[in-house]
Amino acid sequence: MAQQPSPKSGGKVSRRDFIKLMAAAGTVLTFAPFVDWGKFLPNPTGQSKERQKIELPDGSQANVNSFPVNHSEAIIYPKTNDSALNKESFRTWQFIRLPEELGGKKNDISAFRIYSMVCLHLWCLWKYWPQEGRKRGECPCHGSMYDALTGKAFAGPASLQAPPNNVLPRLDIEIATDGNMWIKPPNWSVNGNGIVGYGRFLT
Amino acid sequence: MGVSLHRENSLTRFLRWVYDGVDRTIFMGMKFTFPSRFVSPLGFLGMLTFVLFIILGITGALLMLFYEPILDRAWNSVKTINDVIPYGFHLRNIHYHASNAMVMVALLHMYYQYFSGRYKIRNEILWVTGIIIGVLTILEAFTGYDIIFSERAELAISIAASLTNSIPIMGPQMRDAFFGSGFHDFVLRFYAFHVFFLPIAMLGLMVVHFPRFLVFDVPMVMAITGAVMLTGGVFPVDMGLRFDPSVPPGITVPEWYLTGLYAFLRSAYDKFTTGVAWPGLFIFVLLIIPFIDRYKKFSWKDRPIVTAIGITSLAQIIVTTYWGFYIDPDRTKSLLERLMIDPVFLYLVMILLVPLSFGFTYMMIKLAKNAEANAKLQPKKSTGKGSINLSEKSLYAIFIALLAFQVYLNIAAYYAVLNGMKNYSLFIVGIIMLVFAGMFHIYRHGKSMQKAPPPKPTVPPMPMKAKPPSLTKTGPAAEQLTAGSKVLEDSVPAEKKLAPSAQSGTSSSQSVKSVKKTESTGLAQGEQRIVSDEKK
Repeated sequence: MAQQPSPKSGGKVSRRDFIKLMAAAGTVLTFAPFVDWGKFLPNPTGQSKERQKIELPDGSQANVNSFPVNHSEAIIYPKTNDSALNKESFRTWQFIRLPEELGGKKNDISAFRIYSMVCLHLWCLWKYWPQEGRKRGECPCHGSMYDALTGKAFAGPASLQAPPNNVLPRLDIEIATDGNMWIKPPNWSVNGNGIVGYGRFLT
Repeated sequence: MGVSLHRENSLTRFLRWVYDGVDRTIFMGMKFTFPSRFVSPLGFLGMLTFVLFIILGITGALLMLFYEPILDRAWNSVKTINDVIPYGFHLRNIHYHASNAMVMVALLHMYYQYFSGRYKIRNEILWVTGIIIGVLTILEAFTGYDIIFSERAELAISIAASLTNSIPIMGPQMRDAFFGSGFHDFVLRFYAFHVFFLPIAMLGLMVVHFPRFLVFDVPMVMAITGAVMLTGGVFPVDMGLRFDPSVPPGITVPEWYLTGLYAFLRSAYDKFTTGVAWPGLFIFVLLIIPFIDRYKKFSWKDRPIVTAIGITSLAQIIVTTYWGFYIDPDRTKSLLERLMIDPVFLYLVMILLVPLSFGFTYMMIKLAKNAEANAKLQPKKSTGKGSINLSEKSLYAIFIALLAFQVYLNIAAYYAVLNGMKNYSLFIVGIIMLVFAGMFHIYRHGKSMQKAPPPKPTVPPMPMKAKPPSLTKTGPAAEQLTAGSKVLEDSVPAEKKLAPSAQSGTSSSQSVKSVKKTESTGLAQGEQRIVSDEKK
């Protein structure tokens, strides 16, 4: 089979070996484009190409005309039919209508925010506190606090992390003519909607 | 094995056929040595690591029958294994403690090879594959305690994922590719890594890493297995609290082999630098060590720079490992303040450890060389290394006593299991293993004594001559294989010395007699003198 190169050959490759090598390289090159590991490995169920309605915990679709100011609900995105998957932290989002002083009275998308509830510090679930004097997201675990307007951590351990680890991922909202609210297909990258549990660059 | 093979029947013919077939495979290329007397375990720590790997494989495979790698079931299934499944508690504890032991023994193995310079004997591939196996071992242990999905596991997963995310350019894509998106994927994929990808990679590397000559020391293997079980009995691993994303977790620190890294992470300096770059640099330095180490000599005394680098790494590992565990006990401070490690302080200490370690190494080498020079100048006081000489009779007595103790322990373990005292039963099984290790050692010792040439009874008792006869080499080591079953057959007739056609042959009964004589007169006194010499 593979013959030892004789000491006389001076490290030269024989013609037969060269052709074998070329055949092997050719085989690899032929099949390489068909091996798309980069697409096989990530889980595609987190992706969604279509808009999805904002479904409140009571089962109704969020409406711009009925959702109270300075109020928040936990929503699931992307929602599945699997109750175990729906409990997944990485699919829970905080749907917030901003308080009045931050422009929550307006009847357009600028009054609403959807942030990932996974705290950027160590992945506990923070939530929005509407009380006077708070009006911010607070994490129960290590006390990270998030600005409701931008999703940026301004206190606690999450605020000490370097960008993009200090700004919550957010989802883009779309309002239909009947006032029903939808979530636009996200772009999961730090420069787009952010990466859950990791962060986003504030643009 | 060879006892009944001369009588041919269909079974022996089949066995011989199998054996001949196996003879042509790579397994026969490996030479197993069953040492016939005590040898330092430092030399075969690698084999012990492999034994622990096998223990982990077996217990892990059994745990796989009941573990469910699903987000909302993982913790509950571990709880069921721990509380409900018969022997589940034992399996889980052995698996956990063996994993810790494996990391520890692997580390010891590496440092022993490093300081003794043994890795220079063989080529660099052995060292490089060893380092990679070591890293995989830690990853294997890490993924193992993550898939319980307790609070601590969640913390560990979140750190692992955020470290992967922090890798420049490809980070987020890599996290998506390897860990998936979300806890459900994390648990499932960590499980896949834990039970298949990492072990198969380790096995593949082991094929390259194994030397051809392997030492399989039965007492040491039994002792380490026993130690794992005993530790499991004394410190049964707890379940931890189930992870609940809305409940503040208690303070948890990772396993001890990762607290060093954790100390760096707690300094809240840039994640990539502290969590990926530093450990990466550490592993890289370890990988290229054989290419740096171009000293011609093996001993650590003759390789000052390499030894100093090793001592520095040890010092830094020890300091950071402790530091990672340490959390300011002052509860009036905020949690963040208690957890935070001042990066300036940490890095200053790390840098300070370098000259300190180099100075320490210099001092050690100087002292060792001085001691060597002194030893050469002065005549040796005694050659015996303080070995214990036991008479054959007392050996049998000890052996019988240990056997009786084993029986008692077995009964105790049985009752402990019946009464639901799980960790007590595990503890006892650990002791049984340790006692077996001792018994095997004594058996081996006695056997080698039997084969030793009898010392001359006329020689006056001198401490120099009191060297134990066990040091002489015994015959083929393969006999040790069947030792367990032949214990009684071998020892009892030799003790009685009645039958002239005793199993041990014609000359042995006489030699046993003469050994006994010397023990009663000469050797006993010699022993006493050695003891008194040592006391001085």
